[in-house]
Amino acid sequence: MLRLIGGIVLRRLIGAVPVMLVVSVVVFVVLRLLPADPIGMMLPPNATAADAQALRAEFGLDQSIGRQFAIWLGRAVQGDLGVSIHFHEPVTRLIGGALPATIELALAALVLALAIGLPGGLLLFAVRRRRGELAAGLAVGTLMSIPSFLWALLLILLFGVSFPILPFTGRVGGSVTLPGWTGFALVDTLAAGHFRDFVDAAAHLLLPALALALGFAPLIMRVLRSSLIDAAAEEYVMVARLRGVSERRILVRHMLKNAALPTVTLIGVQFGFLFGGTLLVELIYSFPGLGNLMVQAVRDHDLPLLQGVAVVFCVAVLLANTLVDALYVVLNPRLRRVA
Amino acid sequence: MSPAADPSPPAGRTAPSGAGTVAPPAPAAPATGGFARARLAAALASREVRIGAAIVVLMLLVAVLAPWLAPNDPANQDLLATLQPPAWAPGGDFRYPLGTDSLGRCVLSRTLFGARIALLVAFAAAIGAALVGSTLALLAGYAGGRIDGLVSRTVDAWMAFPPVVLSLLLMVGLGTGVFNVILAIVLVDWTRFCRVVRSEVLVVRRRDYVPAARLLGFTHAQTLLREVLPGVLPLIITLISLEMGIAVIVEATLSFVGLSVPASTVAWGVMIADARSYMHEAVWGMIAPVGAILFTVIGFNLLGDGLRQSLDARLRHARI
Repeated sequence: MLRLIGGIVLRRLIGAVPVMLVVSVVVFVVLRLLPADPIGMMLPPNATAADAQALRAEFGLDQSIGRQFAIWLGRAVQGDLGVSIHFHEPVTRLIGGALPATIELALAALVLALAIGLPGGLLLFAVRRRRGELAAGLAVGTLMSIPSFLWALLLILLFGVSFPILPFTGRVGGSVTLPGWTGFALVDTLAAGHFRDFVDAAAHLLLPALALALGFAPLIMRVLRSSLIDAAAEEYVMVARLRGVSERRILVRHMLKNAALPTVTLIGVQFGFLFGGTLLVELIYSFPGLGNLMVQAVRDHDLPLLQGVAVVFCVAVLLANTLVDALYVVLNPRLRRVA
Repeated sequence: MSPAADPSPPAGRTAPSGAGTVAPPAPAAPATGGFARARLAAALASREVRIGAAIVVLMLLVAVLAPWLAPNDPANQDLLATLQPPAWAPGGDFRYPLGTDSLGRCVLSRTLFGARIALLVAFAAAIGAALVGSTLALLAGYAGGRIDGLVSRTVDAWMAFPPVVLSLLLMVGLGTGVFNVILAIVLVDWTRFCRVVRSEVLVVRRRDYVPAARLLGFTHAQTLLREVLPGVLPLIITLISLEMGIAVIVEATLSFVGLSVPASTVAWGVMIADARSYMHEAVWGMIAPVGAILFTVIGFNLLGDGLRQSLDARLRHARI
C-alpha cells in the first residue's frame, strides 16, 4: 500500500516537472512585458545613466531574456530564487516567512469548509424530493454565486462593523508577539503555553478562514448531495436494506464511503482555487501571508519576488493535487489493483 | 438539479412572447437548428433562467442609462459634504440618496456608473475567452493527435496557476487599462472553455451525422462549423453566462488591488478599496458596490445555472 502510494506520488511529481517548466517560462515572459522599469524606481533622483547601468548589471537585467531565464532556472532548482529588489533579502527567506501564514489560513479554511459543507450536503440529500428542495437548491445556488472576496467584505461588514466582536486586521493583536518557531501562529502559541495568545490568533484567523470556507462549502454540499443520490440508487443499498440494516448505518457505512470519492476529487481540484483565493482574503484582512507579499511585490515592481511567489503558488497547487491523488487511492480499493 | 427534475416540456407551450426578447439568438444551423431552438425555448421555461435574464437586462439598462439615472456627476467632489450618511439616516441629504464617500462624491451615482465598466468587461472578456477557448477546443477535439496533445498540455500547465495569481501577473506585465483587464481575463479563463468544450467535441464528433457530412463531401472546416459547432453551442452559451459572473468578480478584485482601470474611471472595486478605510464612519460606501457586485453576479449565475440544467445534462455536476 505504502509503496503503491509512493509510486503514485513519485509519478505525479515527475509529471509535474514539465508543467512547472512551462509555468516558470510563462511567469518569466509575462513579467518581461513590464512597461515600468523596476530599476528606475530604486535609484535616487540624482543617479546617472552609469549608475542605472551598474544596478541593472547587478541584477542581471542587462542580459537577454533567454539568458536571464537560464540563470534564474539554474539557481531556482538549487533553491535560490534570487534577491528581492525592494527588500534586499533573499526571496526564499521572504517566502519562507510568509508561507506558514497562508498554509495555516488555507488549512483552517478547508476544515471550516468541510464542517459546513458535509452537514450541508447531508441536509440537501435529506430534503430531496421534499417540499424544501427548491428553496434549499436556490439558497445553495445563491451561496455559490458569492466568491470568497465578497464573503470577506460581507463578514467584515457584519462582524467587524455591525457587531464588532471579531478582529479583522492582521494575524494577532498588537500586544502579542509570536515566538516564530514554526511560523504557524496556532502551533507556536500553543507550544509556548500562551493560551491567551492562542485564542487571539484563532480569533484573527476565524473571519478570513470563514470567508474562504463559505466560498468553498456550497461546492462540497452540491457534490456530496449528487453523489449520495447516485449512491442511493446502487444495488448494495437495496441489499443492505433487505438484510435489515438500519437506514442510518446504510448512510454512514455504505453510502457516505462511496460518495466520499467525488467529494475528495472536488476538494483536490478546487484546493488550488482555495489556495489562490487566500491572496485576496489576505489582502482584505491585512493577513501577512504569501498573498500580501505578492501584492506588495506587484506594487514595487519587484520582479524576483513576484516570480518566486508566483512559482511557489503553482508548486503548492501541484503538490495539493498530488496529495489528493494519493488519498484517492487510499479511499478507492478499485484503483489499487489497476495502479 | 435532481436527475428527475429536468423535463423538456413542448416548446410551443413554453415560449411566451415576452420572454423571447432575452433569449440568446438560436443558432441557424441546418442540421441541428430546430433542435437547438427547441432546447433554448425549453430553457426559457426555467424560473432560474428568467430571473437571471431579468437581472442581467436590468443591469444592462443601468449601465447604458447611467448618465440619466444618476442624480450627480460621479466624479464631482463636494468637499463640504464628505462621508454623508444615506438620505433616510439622521443627517442625510436627499441630494445624495446613498450618502457620499471620503471625497464627497455621490455613492449612488458612482455605483450606477460602476455598472458600465463591470458589464463591459463581463461581456467582452467572456466572449473573448469563449472565442479563444472554444476555437482551440474545436480544433483539438476534432483533429485529435498532436494538436490535441499540445492544447491539452497547455491547458494543464495553465491550470497549475491559481487564477488570481495569473491575472495579477498579467496585469503587472500588461499595465492597467480596460482593454488590458479584458485581455488578462481572456488569457486566464480561456481554459475553462477549452477543457469543457473539448470533451463535448469528442462526444459530438462520434455522432453519425459528422461522418455523414464528410461522406457528403463537406470539407473539414465545413464539418466543424456546420455540424460540430452547433452541437456544442448550447454548452458554450451556458459557459459564457457563467464566465460573465466570474469576469465581474475578477474586474472588481483587480480594481480593488488598483490594477484594473485608471483611477479616474468609476469601478466597484475602486469604490470598495476607497470605502474600506472609512468603513466605520460611512458604511454605505461599502455596502452599495458590494451589493451591486453580488446582484450582478447572482444574475449571471442564475442565468448560467438555469441554462446548464436545461441545456446540458453532462455539465450538471461539473464546477466550471
